[in-house]
Amino acid sequence: MKIRSSLAIGAIAVAAALTLSGCSGGSSNTSSGPVNLTVWTGFTGGDRPGYTKIVKDFNESHPKIHVTMNVQPWDTIAQKLPSAWLTGQGPDIAAPSFDPGVIAQYVKTNSVLPLTNTGSGSTQINVDKLAPGTVKEFTYNGKLYAIPANFATLSLYYNKKAFAAAGIAAAPTTVAEFAEDAKKLTIDQGQTQYGLAVADNQTIQMWPILQWLKGGDIVNSKNCSVLDTAKGQESLKYWSDMVVKDKIAPVGLTGAEADSLFSAGKAAMEMNGPWAASGFKSAGIDLGIAPIPVATDGSKVTLGSTAPLAISAKTKHPTEAQEFLAYWSSKDAQRAFSLSTGFPPLRTDLADDPKLIADPTVSVFASQVGDARLYLPGVPSSTQVDANGYVPLIGQITRGDDVATATAAASKTIDALTGCTP
Amino acid sequence: MTALVPPAVSEPSRTTRGGSDPRRAHHRRLTPAVLFLAPSAIILGVFVIWPILQSLYFSLFDWTIGADSQKWVGAGNYIALTQDPRFWSALGTTLIFTSVTVVVVVTMGFLTALGLLQDHLLTRLFRSVYFFPTVVSLVSIGLVWKFLLDPSIGFVGGILKFFGAEPIAWLQSTQLALPAVIFVAIWKNIGFAMVIFVAGLKAVPAERYEAAHLDGATDRQVTWYVTLPSIRPTMLFATLILTIQSFQVFDLVYVMTGGGPLFVTDTLVNELYREGFVNFRTGYASAISWVLFAIIMIISALQLRLFRYNDVD
Repeated sequence: MKIRSSLAIGAIAVAAALTLSGCSGGSSNTSSGPVNLTVWTGFTGGDRPGYTKIVKDFNESHPKIHVTMNVQPWDTIAQKLPSAWLTGQGPDIAAPSFDPGVIAQYVKTNSVLPLTNTGSGSTQINVDKLAPGTVKEFTYNGKLYAIPANFATLSLYYNKKAFAAAGIAAAPTTVAEFAEDAKKLTIDQGQTQYGLAVADNQTIQMWPILQWLKGGDIVNSKNCSVLDTAKGQESLKYWSDMVVKDKIAPVGLTGAEADSLFSAGKAAMEMNGPWAASGFKSAGIDLGIAPIPVATDGSKVTLGSTAPLAISAKTKHPTEAQEFLAYWSSKDAQRAFSLSTGFPPLRTDLADDPKLIADPTVSVFASQVGDARLYLPGVPSSTQVDANGYVPLIGQITRGDDVATATAAASKTIDALTGCTP
Repeated sequence: MTALVPPAVSEPSRTTRGGSDPRRAHHRRLTPAVLFLAPSAIILGVFVIWPILQSLYFSLFDWTIGADSQKWVGAGNYIALTQDPRFWSALGTTLIFTSVTVVVVVTMGFLTALGLLQDHLLTRLFRSVYFFPTVVSLVSIGLVWKFLLDPSIGFVGGILKFFGAEPIAWLQSTQLALPAVIFVAIWKNIGFAMVIFVAGLKAVPAERYEAAHLDGATDRQVTWYVTLPSIRPTMLFATLILTIQSFQVFDLVYVMTGGGPLFVTDTLVNELYREGFVNFRTGYASAISWVLFAIIMIISALQLRLFRYNDVD
């Protein structure tokens, strides 16, 4: 009995150990075969084929390395990646979020590998050719921790059919025209059609563009809120009045809802990135894409967005992983990516590329790269500033709350989060 | 049939040979029991009990996943919670959500069960129809309802428009978002409560009704004095399970509103998720989970007391 029971206990222990070890995934390699690398990204949108093609082309041209990309929703990655990377179970490479600020968290927990394979060679990451804002965003204490997986600008999508019906000949080019068109395109107080679909939560922020167009901003160089300054309040009030009084846009939309509204032909304009184009086209919208109108002071501005692509600090193949990143950001891969997705190239040396200039979609997004500003770049706790400060503020003022009171409260929250010392 | 194994009761004759027998017999009975329990005990221990204890430990630190060192704060997270307006508002929302959902679901579930107690083809069909939402995951239900309630492209808005009314932005309105989410939770759970009550009602002995009717009790009196007391254990079970489920509501809110607009549908677990997985404040999130655990414990104990579980028939 004793022998039997110890055998049984042993069997259970082995079974448990097997169960536990079954959890460990990651990359495994045999000594003779190619090095296997896994990549997690959240690119589930219309731009997905572009990224898949980069991986496919890489695998074809690099027989000694095999990369497998696993695409899952951003939410899922955000839940799984922190612990997966810490325990060495996660992928070799990942785009942790569409929010570039998130990389700070992974740097803090020593989860990401500083990139060392940099330089001007064809198998190196050409840092000095990458969009400068993005490099700065991913550099901490002088070390680069990620490359931009993409760099997008937001443009103005408009429904040509709706424009024609309202007797508007062309896309707006100034703030005044933009506002006037938005009102003119709003039919029946939005019941039939809204002038503009503008999301304010669960999305890449669109409201900062509206603010910048009217000379306002969110924080200054000391990370102190400027929402409650005269300019800040004026820039918010101008647009929130149009939402509250003229009903140019529905209130409280998520990014996905705003896209559905535009796809359904129930909104005439939307500011969005290149990833949205294919969905709008397949929804049958007679689509026009134009640069964001010029700001009141005559300057050009739009929002730039970039997702970081970083390597696990615990990867067994840092050299190969960096080689993959070098390929991802290489001239050829990026040219092909831009042509297939409409994204502006993330390399400065592709700005004059004749093929990209000739492409009608890429050219609109690429023409605004120089004017693009990131959302809360380098601001401490930027994720919380967005979730606890900016999103609630927009929610309040578009529901008719007093702009002065709401901005004062938001400023207090934001200053506490950023540690602003005026 | 001839090769029947002698029953275990014939064994005692052997035990006289083995010295301190009762202990050995006890040991022999215990070992297989332990072995049978071991697999689930190990799984429970590793995947449930250990993480629960670990979260208690985390809640005493300013714990950030993977940081070099974790700062001990003692009760700091719990004190911070008491000063966090978002926590109080999430607690309030959770309490409203739970009390409305549980009361309505239990009442409606009981009434539906009474109505559909007889076994006909039609009542069986209706029972299946009511039960159907229960088997669908909350995420799918949330997504479907979110789409149905969309003011511009949703079905509900379309119907309102058809009748000449203006579509309502249910989930974008600070007044209507919580009632809308509660409605969906009720819609999903009524079938579950109904099935439990049907089972409970069928188990009530017919003699009790007979006796009551012989004594001249009215239908209302029968329901009040015979049916309800007889199904007290069922009532307790339904209420307890629904209360615990409602306190832990997350998927529905996360999918339908994400806690918005302006945090009006933000529940405790939603807040816990945001602190833990968006803001990476594991210690703080653990503290929220322990407060939730304590609340559920206390309310469950009160319910057990209220239904006098111990002196139940």
